[in-house]
Amino acid sequence: MKLEGAFTVAAPRSTVWENLMNPDVLARALPGCEKMEPNADGSYQAELRVGIGAIKGTYSGRVEILDPVPLEHYRMKVEGKGTGGFVRGEGTLTLSDSGPATAGASAPARTIISYRGDAHVGGLIASVGQRLLQGAAQKIVGQFFEAFAREVLSASQASGAAPASGPVAPSS
Amino acid sequence: MATAPLLGQRIKRKEDPRLIQGRAHYVDDIKLDGTLHMTFARSVYAHARLKSVDISAAQAAPGVVAVYTGQDIKGQLGFVPCAAGIEGLKVPDHPCLATEKVCYVGEPVAAVVARDRYVARDAADLVEVDYEPLPAVVDPEKALAPGATVIHPKLGNNMAFVATLDHGDWKALDADKSLKVIKQRLINQRLAPISMETRGAIASYSPGEDTLTVWSSTQIPHILKTQLAIMSGVDEARCRVIAPEVGGGFGSKLNVYGEEGVACFASKKLGKPVKWIEGRRENILGTIHGRDQINDVEVYVQPDGKVVGLKCRTIADLGAYHQLLTPAIPTFTALMILGCYNIPNVFVETTGVFTNKMATDAYRGAGRPEATYIIERAMDLVAQELNMDPADVRMKNYPAPKDFPLTLATGVTYDTANYPKTLKKVLKAAGYAKLRKEQERLRKKGKYLGIGLSTYVEICAMGPSSRMPAGGWEYGSVRIDPTGKVTVLSGTSPHGQGEETSFAQIVADGFGIPFDDVTVFHGDTFQVPMGIGTFGSRTTAVGGTAIYQAVEKLKKKMARIAAHKLGVKPSELRFSDSKIQTADAANSVSFGEIVGEAIFAKQLPPGIEPGLTEQCVFEPANFTFPFGAHVCVTEIDGDTGEVHLRNYFAVDDCGRILNPMLVDGQVHGGLAQGIGQALWEELVYDETGQVTTGTLMDYAIPRAHQFCWFDNEATETRTPVNPLGAKGIGEAGTIGSTPAVVNSVIDALQPFGVRHIDMPLKPEKIWRIIHAQRAGG
Amino acid sequence: MIAQPFEYHVPKTLAEASRLLAQFGSDGKILAGGHSLVPMMKLRLAAPKHLVDIGRIAELAYIREDGGKIQIGSMTTHYKIESSELLKGKCPLLPETAREIGDAQVRNKGTIGGSLAHSDPAADWPAAILALDAEIQASSPRGERWLPAQDFFVDLLTTALEPDEILTAIRVPELPERGGDAYLKLHQPASGFAIVGVAARVALDEKGSVHHVAVGVTGVASKAYRAAGVELSLRGKSPTAKRLEEAAAHAADGIEANGDLYASAEYRKHLANVYVRRALEKAVERGGGRA
Repeated sequence: MKLEGAFTVAAPRSTVWENLMNPDVLARALPGCEKMEPNADGSYQAELRVGIGAIKGTYSGRVEILDPVPLEHYRMKVEGKGTGGFVRGEGTLTLSDSGPATAGASAPARTIISYRGDAHVGGLIASVGQRLLQGAAQKIVGQFFEAFAREVLSASQASGAAPASGPVAPSS
Repeated sequence: MATAPLLGQRIKRKEDPRLIQGRAHYVDDIKLDGTLHMTFARSVYAHARLKSVDISAAQAAPGVVAVYTGQDIKGQLGFVPCAAGIEGLKVPDHPCLATEKVCYVGEPVAAVVARDRYVARDAADLVEVDYEPLPAVVDPEKALAPGATVIHPKLGNNMAFVATLDHGDWKALDADKSLKVIKQRLINQRLAPISMETRGAIASYSPGEDTLTVWSSTQIPHILKTQLAIMSGVDEARCRVIAPEVGGGFGSKLNVYGEEGVACFASKKLGKPVKWIEGRRENILGTIHGRDQINDVEVYVQPDGKVVGLKCRTIADLGAYHQLLTPAIPTFTALMILGCYNIPNVFVETTGVFTNKMATDAYRGAGRPEATYIIERAMDLVAQELNMDPADVRMKNYPAPKDFPLTLATGVTYDTANYPKTLKKVLKAAGYAKLRKEQERLRKKGKYLGIGLSTYVEICAMGPSSRMPAGGWEYGSVRIDPTGKVTVLSGTSPHGQGEETSFAQIVADGFGIPFDDVTVFHGDTFQVPMGIGTFGSRTTAVGGTAIYQAVEKLKKKMARIAAHKLGVKPSELRFSDSKIQTADAANSVSFGEIVGEAIFAKQLPPGIEPGLTEQCVFEPANFTFPFGAHVCVTEIDGDTGEVHLRNYFAVDDCGRILNPMLVDGQVHGGLAQGIGQALWEELVYDETGQVTTGTLMDYAIPRAHQFCWFDNEATETRTPVNPLGAKGIGEAGTIGSTPAVVNSVIDALQPFGVRHIDMPLKPEKIWRIIHAQRAGG
Repeated sequence: MIAQPFEYHVPKTLAEASRLLAQFGSDGKILAGGHSLVPMMKLRLAAPKHLVDIGRIAELAYIREDGGKIQIGSMTTHYKIESSELLKGKCPLLPETAREIGDAQVRNKGTIGGSLAHSDPAADWPAAILALDAEIQASSPRGERWLPAQDFFVDLLTTALEPDEILTAIRVPELPERGGDAYLKLHQPASGFAIVGVAARVALDEKGSVHHVAVGVTGVASKAYRAAGVELSLRGKSPTAKRLEEAAAHAADGIEANGDLYASAEYRKHLANVYVRRALEKAVERGGGRA
């Protein structure tokens, strides 16, 4: 399953990058994340309770950040198992500057996080959830970025009124 | 004769009252004291090494009696058997529970036995498997490429076999520049059989007697008994298999499954009955699949439409392991690839390939739907290429009725046929000429009507023993008890087709006694001493003949006794109206009286043994070759690509018809499944080997409301292969219908220049073609 | 296909149901017919520890007229709606939609409230409820409130219901004068769910122009939606065939469509256009206009 999209966060790149590298922020932003602890090899052990409507599942696994190029991009690798199967995903998060919403040099900085990845689910979810899978994955990704943007904003609230963060509309 | 013969009549099914009222007993309805319930933890990976299987939590769950892994059964339970005999066939070890690695999603990894099925199911989730994922081999063509991951390293590569059938002068054909060569790749998608009753088994081992009794939802109780004896190590004489009521199988229960083996193993270990009932999700993942071939076809055709050569390179996706007949199925495709046409040159190369999927095996039609699809799509491609009417192309290539028996370039000898007759009949029923005019009219209005033909021949009544791995004969016996009631035993094991009725018709007609006086039993290996089973449209033609001949033997004996009593010659006597009488009815004795004479044995003529029981093991000299012609009329919604079935006309010839209602039932169900393949059904593995159509919410089996009315007719061309003259009808509908539907849709899309679309014909595929044309102008 | 263990509770009154729901919190789940929830439980995708079956609360199953509107109790089965003479006469969109749901067994047991609260992205009711500007009643120990349909569907399988709220009724306006309704659907052949389902209500003024139009679309996106662009381009206009087609072309404007094995996102968007056009044509025709 391909996952692709972009999300704008109303903060400068350096702030966004710092937060993206901060496991505590990631843990708070990941929907249903109950635990995220560092492993010896630099990866993280995570436990997630994923729930959409009546559907609920518990997954435990590893989150790994690979090849970070500061302020530019990194790869994220996720492996988890739980509720009748497993989830594996790998993707790249890339940062870029967003042009200010309105012209003017004083407009606050905004950063676009683009993500592009591939997720595989195995077992139960793969074989019975096909109809809802894409929607569910998008919803979870969306929830993550919304929560992430909130985290970034609440950290940098002192910097004054920020323009809205939000998904970048699909170009069509 | 006073009583009307029962054969040929629409007699209601004897078995229906108990089935309709829910009073029949399927495996799950059988309750034995102390039964334990088994469920399986199954692989979630298509291909992975088992690093560890931790069963401790499952074992500790309250109510769990035992948990077994592949390590526990190693050396104590035999491999899942494969009976296919193909030269050079590679047969991988196929343990009932995975031992070192898993090779498809759904492969059993551990068996949990508990006091009830709920506890067992919950505990199965507690089995902790540590997998080391391996690359999944999903695409059978890539599986053959050098450097591909090898699923069974001991076998060297993923090629299970290559079988070649070559009968032709290709040099001459290739040199003949007047010939056109039409090439097309056809994909016959993977399907799930989806019988209404899933699989299930109870194994009950008695340690004192050292006997093993297995109730299984199977089509082959006798073969299963032999195989389970071998696998479990119980003396075959002490093994008994019972197929109780079986709720369909469509070939999927013509098999020996690992789960049945594990049930025997567990019962033997625990000394208690062990029941396993498959769930629907398991049924889709872990019961054999059907079809899954890629066929690259080349047709050599003269300018006048006469086809002179057919080449086909087939890649058959066998899945990870062989089940009972897995590799044999695609070889049936090769055998029947010429269809109704006497094409002198044929070349078929079939490559069987291992992939990380469930095994394919016999699914209704088993190789012949693929053959029919190939040849019938080819005939339409010829018609399209040469701008001829598809009916004319077919007529041009049929052998004449007088040419039969006819041996084709494939080496197969067809018994009897009249192909022009069925085609003419179906064209008349459909109003073919009028339809073509309507089509032309509608096209001018931008509406798309499709008219699709398919004329098929299938290979049935399997079959001569020389061609069948476990023998192709069938057993039947007839016994008359003192009250005059007749007990019929059949070695076949019908699973819903209605042979309790047709067999009773044969027997009642033979003896001239009431239909209700005849009871047919099958499926219990302690009751029926030998048998092969139900598959390959053999049950009536082979199994019915065995019974017919047992009746004839018994009639001879009864006639001798009656003749002795009446003072006439046995040859003068006829059986009718519950009497045995001379042709002029002047001398007669009641059927019951002769039954008494024979059994109480007071005044038997010399040399006659007491009792009335005879048996016959019928060995057919050949297969039979039923045939037919179908027309499917579709309308395509040009805006959305949706296909609407408007009419379906079928003329089927299954030889002599014993009960037209049973034939209709078989044809209707077969059509539904064949049309289902063309339009809806598709078992999908994604690129990592996950099944993405794992429920009936995703895998589209056909529903009654999706169909138009089926207009069925029949012709009756009897076979000389058996004395009943019956050929078989179990699979015809499935075989004939799929290409008729596809040909119809392609025909509808002629204004768009469409040559071929692979199944299933989902609306989006069709819309994309129309849309591209409209957009491109 | 065996669910994880759960406790089953059968309250006799709404108050008792609310109390149980509050007691169990996130471990509890309302059973309201069960034709979405129970299959998910059998697949072990859902595993509530407590099921509170409100299907036996008689006061929740009714269809009645109420001051120019029709109110339907949430435990009214699809079949009761399909066969309601009152609705056939005064709000025919609902019976027409009910007829397209699942199969006879599903319609006999499944309820409108259960379906709405589940908010399956391909369920039929959301399209109709949106097109009717229906109101949805949510009840909790804190009291009752009515939510407009447009606020009710939040996201995939997610509604505006609070955890302690039970969906108790749906209120729909009657078909206005010179009004017409239609529900059209392409069924997914396996599930029977909508690949696309379009509910339209159109009302014409005396001159035959469109003075009211509402179009609900299900099956296309992660939740059902109102095709606002379609409505905007049609309101106040004469519903000629050409105009309907032009309007319908906005059926999926700004919508992120779902793609799955059966239909890609692009195809779903296209289907939305076609089915919206056809539903509008039918609704206009039924409203006495000529498409």
